[in-house]
Amino acid sequence: MFPTPIARTAPWVQRIYKWLLPVALVLWLLPLIGIAVTSIRPSSDLAAGNYFGWPSGFNFIENYSTVFENSNIGWYILNSFKVTIPTVVGAVGLSCLTGYALAVYKFRSNLIVFFMFVAGNFVPFQILAIPVRNLTLSLGMYNTTTGLVMFHVAFQTGFCTLFMRNFIKGLPFALIESARVEGVSEWKIFWHIVMPLMRPAIAALSVLIFTFIWNDYFWATVMAQSADVRPVTAGMNELKGQWKVAWELIAAASIIAALPPVAMFFLMQKHFIAGLTLGATKG
Amino acid sequence: MATVTLRNARKSFGSVNIIKGVDLDIADGEFCVFVGPSGCGKSTLLRMIAGLEDITSGSLQIGGREMADVEPADRGVAMVFQSYALYPHMTVRENVGFGLKMTGHSKADIEKRTERAASMLQLGPLMDRKPSQLSGGQRQRVAIGRAIVREPDVFLFDEPLSNLDAALRVQMRIEIGKLHNDLKSTMIYVTHDQVEAMTMADKIVVLHGGIIEQVGSPLELYHRPRNMFVAGFIGSPKMNFIPVTVQAARDGNVMLSLPGDGRMTIPMKGDLPAAGTRLTLGCRPEHVAIGKEAAASGALQGTIRVAEYLGSETMFYASLADGTEIAVKGDGLAAQKSGDILPLSLPAAACHLFDAQSNAILNGDLTR
Amino acid sequence: MAGLRRKRWNQRTYAPWLFLAPGMLMFSIYVVFPIFQSIWISFYDWDGLGPKTWVGLDNYANLLDDESFYTSLQNNLIWLLLYLLAIPAGLAVALFLNQSVTGIRLYKSLFFFPFVISQVVVGLIFSWFYAPDFGLLPKIIGFLTGSEIAVLADERYATYGVIAAGLWPQIAYCMILYLTGLNNINPEQVEAARMDNAKGWSMLWHIIIPQLRPATFIAMVVTVIGALRSFDLISIMTVGGPYGSTRVLSYFMYEQALSEYGVAMGYGAAIAVVLFAIMLVFISIFIVRMLQQERNG
Repeated sequence: MFPTPIARTAPWVQRIYKWLLPVALVLWLLPLIGIAVTSIRPSSDLAAGNYFGWPSGFNFIENYSTVFENSNIGWYILNSFKVTIPTVVGAVGLSCLTGYALAVYKFRSNLIVFFMFVAGNFVPFQILAIPVRNLTLSLGMYNTTTGLVMFHVAFQTGFCTLFMRNFIKGLPFALIESARVEGVSEWKIFWHIVMPLMRPAIAALSVLIFTFIWNDYFWATVMAQSADVRPVTAGMNELKGQWKVAWELIAAASIIAALPPVAMFFLMQKHFIAGLTLGATKG
Repeated sequence: MATVTLRNARKSFGSVNIIKGVDLDIADGEFCVFVGPSGCGKSTLLRMIAGLEDITSGSLQIGGREMADVEPADRGVAMVFQSYALYPHMTVRENVGFGLKMTGHSKADIEKRTERAASMLQLGPLMDRKPSQLSGGQRQRVAIGRAIVREPDVFLFDEPLSNLDAALRVQMRIEIGKLHNDLKSTMIYVTHDQVEAMTMADKIVVLHGGIIEQVGSPLELYHRPRNMFVAGFIGSPKMNFIPVTVQAARDGNVMLSLPGDGRMTIPMKGDLPAAGTRLTLGCRPEHVAIGKEAAASGALQGTIRVAEYLGSETMFYASLADGTEIAVKGDGLAAQKSGDILPLSLPAAACHLFDAQSNAILNGDLTR
Repeated sequence: MAGLRRKRWNQRTYAPWLFLAPGMLMFSIYVVFPIFQSIWISFYDWDGLGPKTWVGLDNYANLLDDESFYTSLQNNLIWLLLYLLAIPAGLAVALFLNQSVTGIRLYKSLFFFPFVISQVVVGLIFSWFYAPDFGLLPKIIGFLTGSEIAVLADERYATYGVIAAGLWPQIAYCMILYLTGLNNINPEQVEAARMDNAKGWSMLWHIIIPQLRPATFIAMVVTVIGALRSFDLISIMTVGGPYGSTRVLSYFMYEQALSEYGVAMGYGAAIAVVLFAIMLVFISIFIVRMLQQERNG
């Protein structure tokens, strides 16, 4: 293990390390802690210039309920779910198929197709924006969650294919050959042998895509004009303009908006990190 | 029950030729072992028979039927993989019955066949476990069970014992042998372990660089190797090769000069080599005699470099006058030690002669 | 004979295309074709509704005369260079946290936290952090130097302020990549290096960093792409200002073609094409590198 395990160092180093760890964490998360504390301050604190001192009261319920009462945030959050969940299902589902095809079959254009997905995944959104918006308009899906979902599913299929293909490549190929010798059809091999083994990959990708889509701001801005379909990221920007100096409300709304992916992360931490660091260990 | 016939079978990946024209006949019910060094193409050849690799050119027949265009599942073959390839999410019972289920066999039929395979392989108590709960030997048996239930004409084994420890390997070797006796199916078995080959095979196929070097029964290969490759590959420790020069050749005898001052006469059939020809003489370590008759035919002197006292026998690794290394198997009670001069002699009857250029054998049929 | 052979491989010949069809169709419609459509639109003068007028390379020629274009380009370069600091910084944090003391797992998760939060929220947090009069940073600077600075309102500092906000989650991302990489280093190799008297910096430089190469590669990819894609933070924190000084190409394009008042489709497309061309350089490098790995592995 590198660096040297702290347990094997001199006692004074150990003491400094144990002390440094929480200090570093507080410094690292200082902006976040600040916003969390602000979100429960009474507005009188801010008016009185008490931005960093101990809050004069604990206004958790007042502030958070004000956020819900004075804005559409509940609606925005619902919209975010309406975009995020179908996207996760669609992109993960499609990429199970594409990943399997690219991992298992040898055909001439295999690598070309694979790298088309990989490269497409890296392009700037702006090169897609005008045609995608026009296409969505002409399909009658502009300003609908369906329109957003369609694009997200297509775009995320790039990253998901990269992920799934590499995961399936890591499975023992003899399993597939063995089934072929036994006369199992290609679809049944996929369904009965490979799919059950892909569960960890599906879990990892799902939490990852959930977070990516929940946090998307650009497409939410470009493809959703009205408040009825606006996801929470785009909604936050509007609230920021609406509340201007009511920082305790902006802070509370920020925390509400951040909560679902944060909860997802803490519940599925192992899968999340496995998904994010795929490829960081081999190659 | 089926014969397997290959005619000028070739396989190439792009411009790389892996199998360079193989002709082979495997009889019905025969236990045929493919051996060879790694990369010789033995696994590829097996996979071609299985249908997992297509045949670039040539023909493959199983039971007299051309197979080039037949799906693996329709060839009447079953395969046991080196890694066992058990499906990790299924129980032993599901693993064994999966292929039958997928190809539409009735429930009763699957159950009947599964039970029979289970009793043959003593899998009974393991049927509801997952592969991860099994030992290596048990997994191996499940993999074999999965092959048995398909009641194939030909069993294919791809180095099935290489992941097992030495003791289990001996036990499984015996079990597979018994299985062959019971089922009387044709079996093709790939291994790099020549002990497995020698003990199990009716017929051994020695492959090297994508071509067959020799086909024969274990003892045929041992006593009548067709060339230096087979002579060196079969037998352990491997055969000694000693450079010799023909002094004279007449009346069905060749006189050779050995490293140092030794000479020997070997009887030889057919065309005799001309005087002055350089040849390679082969003699197995167990046939080299340790003796004192320094002046006799075939006498040599070696300086012992390393002596291994194994109890039942002693292995000497010595170097001859010209620096050639030679291995000699001696008595378990031999007292010579490293640095000693070892008087040796080569019995004419146990010597093979190889052409130094082509490596083809000129003489040396010990079973004459 | 040849016909028969083709039949034998039938199922395995068409199966991959059936598996690929839905994904490839979607990806082509929404990702591949739009790239070419954008390039095509960039040769037109178009307000998005009326008829298109072919103008050839005029949009590109206009770009070269546009002060905003150079500002954006320069800012993109600053973003790229400063964003790369996330890689060594992430490695440093990872080394700091790669210990096995009690509670370290929770520490690692909490250090990773900023990455999970959306950039919109990160932008809001930092706007608040930088806010003149009451923000924490101006207070600290005021305490140290005696005069407060309104970071986001000052042309000289605004871009750096936004980049700092972006570095926060990016460092967390690189950290997690390196933590995984460190976790996968063969401990016996580290021990062997200790026997060879490598320690501290020499160990890090000669043994650890070379073994972290796969992690470094991924960190490079995500950092470069992240830097060039920067949009959310600028939109939230500065809206491109003050006086357009924090614009980058992606935001500039949005202003021209996508925002409420943006109707210059052709011009916007031309900006997008320039950004795409810059990214294509990096994408090609990554793809070549991945292709080599593919061939070797």
